[in-house]
Amino acid sequence: MTPNGAVAFALLVIVGAMIAHDLAGLLIILAATACFALASRRAIWSALAWSAGIVLPLALFMMVVWVGIVGRAPHEIAAGLEGSRSAATMHVAIICLRLFIIAFTVQAAFLHFAGWTPLRFVGALTLPRTAKKLLVLTLSLIDTILQAVDRARTALIGGGLITRQRSWRNLRHGWILVQTVWLTVITIVVGRTRDKWPVEETLARLEGTLAARVPGRLTAPDFGWIALAIAAGVAGLR
Amino acid sequence: MLTTPRLVAIALCAALNFAIGNIVYLIKLPIYLDSIGTILCALLIFPDRLAAIVCAFIAGFISAILTGLVLNPFLPWFSLTVLSIAAVSALLTARATYTFRMRPLPVVPFAGKVLLYGLITGVVSAVVSAPVVVYLFGGVTGSGSTFVVALFLKTGQQLLDSVVLAGLATDPVDKIAEVLLAALLYRATPREFIAMMAPAKPSTA
Amino acid sequence: MELIAGPNFSGRSAALMAQLRDHAPAFFIGPHAEAALSGLSSTVADEIEIYRAAISGREPFTPLDFATYAERKPATLSGGEQVLLALHCFSLSGYGVIGIDTALEQLDPGNRDRAIAYLSRGATQGISAIVADNRLDQPPGAAIPEPTGPAAEFACNLAAVARPPVCDPAIIKVQGLSFRYGGGRDIFRDASVTLEPGHAYRLTGVNGAGKTTFCKLLAGVLAPDAGTIELRGKPYAPWKEGNHAFAFATQNPDHQWCGATLGEDVARRRSVLERRGIDLPSDASLAALAACLGIRSMDQHLYELPLVARKRLSWLWPLSGVMPWAMLDEPTLGQDRVTREALADAIARLGAAGYGIVLITHDDEFAARIAHRPLKIADGLIA
Repeated sequence: MTPNGAVAFALLVIVGAMIAHDLAGLLIILAATACFALASRRAIWSALAWSAGIVLPLALFMMVVWVGIVGRAPHEIAAGLEGSRSAATMHVAIICLRLFIIAFTVQAAFLHFAGWTPLRFVGALTLPRTAKKLLVLTLSLIDTILQAVDRARTALIGGGLITRQRSWRNLRHGWILVQTVWLTVITIVVGRTRDKWPVEETLARLEGTLAARVPGRLTAPDFGWIALAIAAGVAGLR
Repeated sequence: MLTTPRLVAIALCAALNFAIGNIVYLIKLPIYLDSIGTILCALLIFPDRLAAIVCAFIAGFISAILTGLVLNPFLPWFSLTVLSIAAVSALLTARATYTFRMRPLPVVPFAGKVLLYGLITGVVSAVVSAPVVVYLFGGVTGSGSTFVVALFLKTGQQLLDSVVLAGLATDPVDKIAEVLLAALLYRATPREFIAMMAPAKPSTA
Repeated sequence: MELIAGPNFSGRSAALMAQLRDHAPAFFIGPHAEAALSGLSSTVADEIEIYRAAISGREPFTPLDFATYAERKPATLSGGEQVLLALHCFSLSGYGVIGIDTALEQLDPGNRDRAIAYLSRGATQGISAIVADNRLDQPPGAAIPEPTGPAAEFACNLAAVARPPVCDPAIIKVQGLSFRYGGGRDIFRDASVTLEPGHAYRLTGVNGAGKTTFCKLLAGVLAPDAGTIELRGKPYAPWKEGNHAFAFATQNPDHQWCGATLGEDVARRRSVLERRGIDLPSDASLAALAACLGIRSMDQHLYELPLVARKRLSWLWPLSGVMPWAMLDEPTLGQDRVTREALADAIARLGAAGYGIVLITHDDEFAARIAHRPLKIADGLIA
């Protein structure tokens, strides 16, 4: 499986989930995604749990709103019908299953490349050079910012302004943490942009490293999974 | 348009959008701020308006994709909202950059501009987001506006109308906070970094 | 290996960059950890991959087993480890020239000697190294450049630092301390130590041993997995109640500011600490102390200062006497000999006034000027 194949599969499954209009169709698409996840030969429980963790709170909200408060489904409101709670429940189930498929598909794609570094993964995607550079730069800056968050917490906890634990003091000084993080990261970035990158031509090196990883053509397994995604989508529309 | 410093600014603002969620979690704030980097990117690249829109949108889009992969898989669906925020920020909010950097801080003009541009950003964001909220989430996103939506639905309003009205009630508050934070970050940014955002000078060779 | 000699503000960094531009593309390692690496990689493996040349033909510099670090994020490495990783990347690359701006000062003695030996053998491997370092002796007869304009603007006079008020002794007892970073090895395993006020303690250990981690535990930035700390005989849990014992000067000065300007930083600390019953010196006293450290305006934007000046300002809170203990993590990085000696004397005066001092430094010359007790961190213990 190549990253391009995984992206194609995920996009097709997500489109299929968006246009499927009943529970049975969505379950077919979910089954296809589950097969895809299992084919990674990694434990899929964490992917399932993560997806459920995203969707369950939404499901609870939706049940409260549609079933508990409104008591009918949107199409019944649109048609001016009295409606029923069972229709509202079906509406919630379809929305939640669709959202679960979207979340699970992304995680399932990740499972196939769990051992890959970000550079290897981005290099293998078919994208314009600038887009790849931006992705790599953003990923590394995310790490820089998260480290800056850690450093800023050190500064503010060391200075006595905030504590490790939840407190009103933290709420009052949240802005200071944000400002400190921003300034720390800006300083790092200015230093790199002004000094290290120009003299090393580092960004050109990155382009060279990314270019050396020629994106693979879609392989036979890729086409197999794409075909399955299309078939599941069509079956979901029946 | 996309000079190296601007690419860095895009990546930085995208990373800021992504990481704000972590900061919010660490200091236990009750709100979720996901477009500060988008707005800030536009402020940094102003007065080159077209570049500001493009760069701010790319920053917001990348952060939405990455957040979608790792934290919230539904965020990429709001890319049109990202574009609208980028446009409002570059065309309107960025007009206040001089005020934002004045020292000492001119409190009343600063607050007035933050409120005005935050309100406009919130209104635009609510209207553009509504179709996505309806189609993807069936109107319920699990945020505070959910019960506002329920209230309107109970009174017989159509779903799209309910979502728009609920968004207009809640989005401006969030966007005012985001414009405020972006303005304060812009104010604190060292001059050297802002100077780097100028367009590349044409070669005289 | 070419050494660019001279005191602070004599234009060493500019001279080094000018030489590198003449030889561009050339590898560069800046003063702090974040300036050592490319900033383009999310893992150590990717960092190496970005720099690896198809054919290097030179002896690799491998002071650490980087294969075991492969999946770690570069920013999670200690400062010294990041510098070593950068040197490793250079040794695998095709760059013929490397410039190092005081970064070698972050290395422990063993790794520092290895790095200097590797760079000194450069001619045999077709590489040349240009180094600015405050602890290397300049070659005999070398011309010493004069300080330039900013030297006067940021002139530092540590001898004029007012003696802080006599301190109420605060003995620290650490018992059964255990700590590990999530998913990592044990940093501390049932470690115990008593720190007596009026004394200076120098933490030693290899890069990555846990010296900075120990400081963070004392300041409440990290919470131990097990163990207790006592302050003046009473339980002290700064990770819950907030830090009110250690004034901490971090290795990278940008990791301790609480504002964009000096005035903002002071005002914020004052508003919080005084509400908790901790008296701060007056604004005038702090402004005078800042002036001794080279900063003459409270409106100074902290992040627009030259790095050397930012580092000096980072000594403000430890020297102000606001808390009974001062913790300084590699305080002499980037500082010339004159400043290092003056800082050592200022710290010694702090100790004489009854304050406790915890010091992390690989600079033996600097440490020798301060009467101190060594504390070695190794294998999870503090001895």
